[in-house]
Amino acid sequence: MFRFRCRLLGFRFHASSRLLVVGGAISYRALFNWTTPPMFIGTLLVGPLLQVFFFVFLGRELGVADDRFHLVGNAVLAASASCVYGGTMAVANERRYGTLGAVLLSPRRRVPLWLGRALPYVLNGLFVSAFVLTVAALVLGLPVPAGSLPGLGLVLLVAAGACSAFGLALGALGLRFRDVFLVSNVASSVLLLLTGAAVPRETLPEWMRAAGELLPLTHAADAARGLTAGAGLDGRLLGAELAVGAGWGLLAVVLLAVFERGSRRRATLDVM
Amino acid sequence: MLAIEADALRRTYTSRTGWPRSRRTETEAVRGVTFEVAPGELFGLLGPNGAGKTTTIKMLNTLLLPTSGTARVFGHDVARDPVAVRRRIGYVFGGDRGLYDRLSALDNLRYFAELYGVGARDQKRRIAELLDLVGLVGREKERVEGYSRGMRQRLHIARGLLHHPDVLFLDEPSIGVDPVAARDLRRTVADLAAAGTTVLLTTHYMAEADELCDRIAVIAGGRVRALGTPGSLKSLVRERDVLEIEAYGVDAERLDRVRRVPGVRGVSAEDRGALQTVTVQTGRGASDLHGPVLAALDGVRIGRVTSREPSLEDAYIAIVEEATGKSGSTSGDVHGGVHGGVSEGVSA
Amino acid sequence: MTRLPRLILVGVRTHVSYMSRSPIEITFAVLVPLVYATLAVYLFRAAGDPDRLLTASVGAGLMGIWGSVLFGSGGAVQNQRWLGTLETLVVAPTPLALVLLPITLATAVIGTYAMGATVLWGVLLFDVPLDFAHPLLFLVAVPVCVLSLGMTGLLLAATFVLLRNANALANPLDTPVWLLSGLLVPITVLPAWTHPISWALPTTWGARAVHAATSGGDVLTPLLTAVALGAGYALAAVLVLGRVERRARAAATLALT
Repeated sequence: MFRFRCRLLGFRFHASSRLLVVGGAISYRALFNWTTPPMFIGTLLVGPLLQVFFFVFLGRELGVADDRFHLVGNAVLAASASCVYGGTMAVANERRYGTLGAVLLSPRRRVPLWLGRALPYVLNGLFVSAFVLTVAALVLGLPVPAGSLPGLGLVLLVAAGACSAFGLALGALGLRFRDVFLVSNVASSVLLLLTGAAVPRETLPEWMRAAGELLPLTHAADAARGLTAGAGLDGRLLGAELAVGAGWGLLAVVLLAVFERGSRRRATLDVM
Repeated sequence: MLAIEADALRRTYTSRTGWPRSRRTETEAVRGVTFEVAPGELFGLLGPNGAGKTTTIKMLNTLLLPTSGTARVFGHDVARDPVAVRRRIGYVFGGDRGLYDRLSALDNLRYFAELYGVGARDQKRRIAELLDLVGLVGREKERVEGYSRGMRQRLHIARGLLHHPDVLFLDEPSIGVDPVAARDLRRTVADLAAAGTTVLLTTHYMAEADELCDRIAVIAGGRVRALGTPGSLKSLVRERDVLEIEAYGVDAERLDRVRRVPGVRGVSAEDRGALQTVTVQTGRGASDLHGPVLAALDGVRIGRVTSREPSLEDAYIAIVEEATGKSGSTSGDVHGGVHGGVSEGVSA
Repeated sequence: MTRLPRLILVGVRTHVSYMSRSPIEITFAVLVPLVYATLAVYLFRAAGDPDRLLTASVGAGLMGIWGSVLFGSGGAVQNQRWLGTLETLVVAPTPLALVLLPITLATAVIGTYAMGATVLWGVLLFDVPLDFAHPLLFLVAVPVCVLSLGMTGLLLAATFVLLRNANALANPLDTPVWLLSGLLVPITVLPAWTHPISWALPTTWGARAVHAATSGGDVLTPLLTAVALGAGYALAAVLVLGRVERRARAAATLALT
């Protein structure tokens, strides 16, 4: 639902953590296109909130699922705007600004360099989800037990982390392909369909359900729904979300390494 | 009637930075620019980056409103009557942008011909004419994304000429264009002017300005610092000779000593690795200063010593350095008298 | 006065072919609406509403058309800025409204790809029966709806000329218009205070006409209302643009990227 049109960073340990935190924070400011206040509020806060209302009313009309299902599902999904596009921009915008070559000339280790870039988007995604969930629950009058709040925070954090890893893996494609935002746009629509944020997954065919299992947010959405209903934290769902996130993170690191090597061979770095 | 009249043009940019408490900062890009261009004249606007050249052009071509002052193009006020001005002007800027690169040159020209009000009957002929003029015949059906920078620049010019403009604004057209393409471009521009089109050109290339322009205005810090024919600008520094000395290890003290030599009007030094080039501007026919200058540099190794006549570039640098007050460290108060008697009437 | 239709025709042709050659435009026009269509069909099926599957496909197509107009028209100005062509368009002696109208119409035309794609997708994958109540009227209603949305786009484009971050407005305007125009859900389920907003949107009437052509009902009244509203929006846009252009010249926002 969100669209980005292109039309959009002893000695060993200490230095790596600096690269992770400082490099990540600077690259967030340099490469994320949505940090201006109107952009941030419009795209990351108001947009997802309105999407919650759209699906809640759609759900009420069709009677497929209750308010809680759509509200919580879409609130968890709200993190995807920051995480999927952020992860993509963290790599792909280097190409747009023509700085990719300079970054790849860096002698630093790649894992902290790239993962540091995903870090700000995790926090950003967590903030967005928490905001959307709070406001939507207040406006639509959905009771959320106070005791479930710490658990909810943890679930939303893990969801944002998994989703950022997913975004970074898509961003890695930016080292190889020109129109990577196209992929992230399609990917975020696919998340809407397959993670069960909008459509109850039991109504989907088997293969779509299976695909949803492997995507970030699916398990987190289910865990969050359980928590808001007062059922307590489901450790299995949380573990599944963590595993999915770790898997995408690993894939991201591998893809980044492979494409970086390939880019030298194919000379695709400076192709705009 | 004059082609372009700019009278005390000023332009201020306001920008807001910071959030939530934003600060308003005002930048004065152009601080009172006055000049006139006669019909058929090729007028050059020179100046360092950020001097206000592009802002001046954009006020004249109706893209920006002047903060104060007035400008007219063939008698039409640029602020009050933009459409009448737009009918008579073409605007071409340098660089890769400003074209639909997934479309062919032909489609680009057809579209802009429509927007610039070229009649349906004349379009085909006019486009063919222009493709021929800029040498794109045979490639007009290819997508622009495959074009070289020089080809894009030529297509830009064709686009700017579609409606037979009386005045053509060329904003750094030769930027990033290779020497051969730049030469072709100069010929095209010269031909246009010869055929009666008034051209206002900005450029960083002195040779280009020297070769093409009837008159030149040098802008720095938002003001016109000198205005005249290339010859008259050069004459500003004509009463000088330039002595270039290659040296190794010249220090500030020695430069000061050179500066104090009677008859020396300016000294600057430029490092090139271990080698330094000391440029000494002296009064006319000051070959007899060789001795005293070299004596002042006593104690350092001296390489080649040459003396030459000042070029447009020397004149330009003298004007700009004087304007920006960048004389202190090396040059001293060298360039006195640059303003005197530079402005001339319109040479129509 | 053959100049005006020719100007619009050449303009629409130029921009439709430019956008059609962009992979990202095609993604928005075709792939993303297909996801909506899939989502809508499964939701309607789960709701035990198999009779309304065509409505779901058509609704998803309308969502796609609106998305195309919203981002195309809002982004039209921004895109011209990025391309560096905005200044050459403004310097042209043609009034800015007549420069922008073909662009917004072109985005609506690109949006019709969405309608074709979602209906075809429904037929091929989900065996959605093509039982249009008024097949011919449907073929009239869609282009007229597109025309009125294109004119609405002109007002969007007009207000977006001044804004550097047009996307900031465009992104959150997506879903509320789907909701308020009844593209998928009838507006009757919404709170009563939202109804006046719905009535003021040409999308509401265009969607009503297209849905009526699909599943029965009065097509012409909402269709004419959509055109009248669209024309009103276009007229407002022309008035706004005169001021907007002058402000843009004063504020120096044309060349900003």
